[in-house]
Amino acid sequence: MVTDERLPYAPYPGPTGTSVAAAPVALGTPGGSGPWFLARANLGILIDLLREDDRTVIGPTVIDGAIAYAEIDSADDLPAGIGDDQSPGQYRLVRRSDDRVFDYAVGAQSPKRWTFPPVVPLNVGRREGRAVTFEPAAIDSPKLAFIGVRACELAALGIQDRVFLGGPYTDEDYRSRRRSALIVAVNCTSAASTCFCTSMGTGPEVRGGYDIVLTELDEGFVVKAGSPEGADIVARLPVRGADASQMFRAAESVGKVAATMGDPVPTAGLHDRLLAQFDSPEWANVAERCLSCANCTMVCPTCFCSSVNQTSDLDAEVSTSERVWDFCFTAGFAKVAGGSFRNRIRDRYRQWLTHKFATWVDQFGTFGCVGCGRCIAWCPVGIDIRQELLAVAPPLVVRPEPVRPQPVAATPGSYATARIVSVRSETHDVTTLTIGDVDPAFLAGQFGQFAMVAVPAFPPVPISISRFGRDTIDLTIRAAGPATAAIASLGPRDEIGLRGPLGTSWPIERAMGHDVVIATGGIGLAPLRPLIDGLIAQRDRFESIRIYYGARTPADQLYREELRGWAGRGDTEVRLIVDREGPGWTGPVGVVTQLFDSATWDGSRALAFVCGPERMMEATADALLDRGLSSDRIFVTLERHMECGIGLCGHCQTGRLFVCRDGPVFSLAQLGDVFGREGM
Amino acid sequence: MTAIAARPRLRVGIVKMASCDGCQLTLLDLEDELLALGDRFDILEFPEASSLRSSGPFDVLLVEGSISTPEQAAEIIELRTKARTLVTIGACASYGGIQALRNWSDHDVFRAAVYAHPEYIESLSTATPVSDHVKVDAELHGCPISPDQLRELLVSVAVGRRPQIREEAVCLECKRRGTVCVMVAQGIPCLGPVTQGGCGALCPTYGRGCYGCFGPREQANTGSLSRTFAATGRGDLGVSRLFAGFTGWAPPFREVIDERGGPPGMTPVAAGEGGGDGRH
Repeated sequence: MVTDERLPYAPYPGPTGTSVAAAPVALGTPGGSGPWFLARANLGILIDLLREDDRTVIGPTVIDGAIAYAEIDSADDLPAGIGDDQSPGQYRLVRRSDDRVFDYAVGAQSPKRWTFPPVVPLNVGRREGRAVTFEPAAIDSPKLAFIGVRACELAALGIQDRVFLGGPYTDEDYRSRRRSALIVAVNCTSAASTCFCTSMGTGPEVRGGYDIVLTELDEGFVVKAGSPEGADIVARLPVRGADASQMFRAAESVGKVAATMGDPVPTAGLHDRLLAQFDSPEWANVAERCLSCANCTMVCPTCFCSSVNQTSDLDAEVSTSERVWDFCFTAGFAKVAGGSFRNRIRDRYRQWLTHKFATWVDQFGTFGCVGCGRCIAWCPVGIDIRQELLAVAPPLVVRPEPVRPQPVAATPGSYATARIVSVRSETHDVTTLTIGDVDPAFLAGQFGQFAMVAVPAFPPVPISISRFGRDTIDLTIRAAGPATAAIASLGPRDEIGLRGPLGTSWPIERAMGHDVVIATGGIGLAPLRPLIDGLIAQRDRFESIRIYYGARTPADQLYREELRGWAGRGDTEVRLIVDREGPGWTGPVGVVTQLFDSATWDGSRALAFVCGPERMMEATADALLDRGLSSDRIFVTLERHMECGIGLCGHCQTGRLFVCRDGPVFSLAQLGDVFGREGM
Repeated sequence: MTAIAARPRLRVGIVKMASCDGCQLTLLDLEDELLALGDRFDILEFPEASSLRSSGPFDVLLVEGSISTPEQAAEIIELRTKARTLVTIGACASYGGIQALRNWSDHDVFRAAVYAHPEYIESLSTATPVSDHVKVDAELHGCPISPDQLRELLVSVAVGRRPQIREEAVCLECKRRGTVCVMVAQGIPCLGPVTQGGCGALCPTYGRGCYGCFGPREQANTGSLSRTFAATGRGDLGVSRLFAGFTGWAPPFREVIDERGGPPGMTPVAAGEGGGDGRH
């Protein structure tokens, strides 16, 4: 049971997100809060205790060929020896050889049916003469107890808590139902092929938001309490301390379930990846199959949309309104006089998918999906949301290491050492160091991030990472002062100190499915090189790619061979310009924005990434805006005096931003009038 | 607002074309409201309740049945001129009904096979919805229609607002009432996802697939659903049989039937095919 003060609680999204009093998780040693052991034969006593407490007990039972929540009277109603076999568009009960009662994945509908019922009376309107009254319906919520609630379902309740109770306006009917509900949760000991809670970070282990949690073993249940109410009930049960074998087997069975699921929905960058795909052809593809029947939304434990139905008498004197479940897949949902804003099935599917995995994050701070897989199993034509996500917004796989560990040696005093593998002279004053023996955190860094680089006796300098290799990184350095000159003068096998990777990165996910413009000058090409590597590694994921590069003289161009290689691919435009001619130069002479003058492309579907001297970036940004790019699609990287690299020393502050921490990559929209302002 | 109460009684007629009368009987199912309806409406013509006939005009004319004979085709045009609001009631009037299955057949061959003197039978070779003949202002669907929707229609006419009839699949009614999906859990083919709700999910709640009597809903993706039916081992005839029911002549259902070679019984049945959807 959850008291008002604890609402809304939020076990989602991770193990640190719980606000429930007793520490959950980790089946530890027996103690005051458990774990205890409850023999199988005594499970009925738990249900009896809940019923004696005047609660309506909602638990899993077999209805019409499926396990579903319903009001139950005793443990006899539980699905003993029955499991489930779920796949896209199909659900079948399976007879098991044991008499376990919770060894199924998830049932046909979630507890949402009781916390957010399909139909709730709202008011009665009356008209007498000229007077009208609207009498709100009394909130009539039963005192509930749920048994068998899974980790994903608890996460979903946490999400609906945020929706209905987390904002300035709250749903009192929901609050009343939620407040009274006592929850006996169950750790999953089996998963269906449709389950993906591991991707969404919600299960299979219950992490909070429960009063009691059970883990089923052959002989009974490992029991823990998660609230004072739960502890009170456990104290009235015939339990004893769970022994080491029981605790081990409980933990092991839950761990095995997690291993079977894998990570079918990579969520890294998903928000941006999806929102970049409004125009994806995949929407029409899925609409060929989608029935727009709304089953996915109805079985979803987090979908919360509704409409108001009204009935009136023949004299228009009395009308009754009720709130009913409604969904973005129905015709009337986005209708105004004149038609629907989302008339096509593709529009409705896009609305749903982008809400679940992107705009929900903007609205409520979490995904709107908990990975229960109901929308997959209960789709009459078996559309698999995991596959659709991969088709619409596949993750970019540009480097073997997908995880992003914390930066190493982030504090200003500590540096990790790394060894220079090779040195390459780019121009008369620019050198690229290839560095090995680096901490894995650097290898997993993101395009555009930088490192603080130090050698003893010189002040550390921020250097952009100019390439991510399999086990090396590149740093391209212009010898502009004593510290950079000292670093640039090092040779193979010399060691240096590194902190990082630090700062923000080029949002490559947002560029998927779009035209890409890269405009850069001088050494500004260095921080963009990993981005170009990433774009080219998955070239078919992007529309046109145009690289505009200006240098002082032909001899000042970086990466000349690579520039030729990119241009020679045939699918990437590379255009070069120099301030001053040099020997053998036949190309244009001038500033980089001149390259735009003769271009004919339309920028309305493009993202631009710009790096160079600030004056050059200003002029480039103006040229890009003229071409139809919006300011949230133009990204620049600012150079400022940086010492700590983590937003604590104050040197790099520019308006409300710390360039090292909030940048160095910013969108023009983010910078606002700070960009190009003198004296900032 | 007192003007609402002072409105004149509305003149209502119910007429039938080719139909079984089940839809007009639904009016008598509104037992609790019949007296109030009688206060508000003058029921001028109602064949199942009275032998009175009226020459109109009608504020609201409820039309039951499909247009199946030359007389009906002429009569509906005449009736339209007398009706301020014309509402079709039921699958026959709105979609042609079960009798529209003859639209796929050779009418003369059937007539000669059934009747000793086919020359006495005067019928059209097709049974078609009223909307093929005259402008229709509203349709109530179903076989038979829903009493709640009929009530809502009459109330909305009396009050002077649009009827609030939800445009949604039968699936929403199943899920709201907690019925487990018969298609997903039991493999029973069901037209619910492409069929307009209104019945309260009657058939699935009794363990049967929806057979589409309320007709296709908006954006009915019958192509996808029929491919799913076919993927579970049903031949063309098995799939077309599922759609060839009370509203088979409705375009989204008709397309599936045509694609799959017509409804059962209209084409020679190949050995081993045609049976076995397990519903009827």
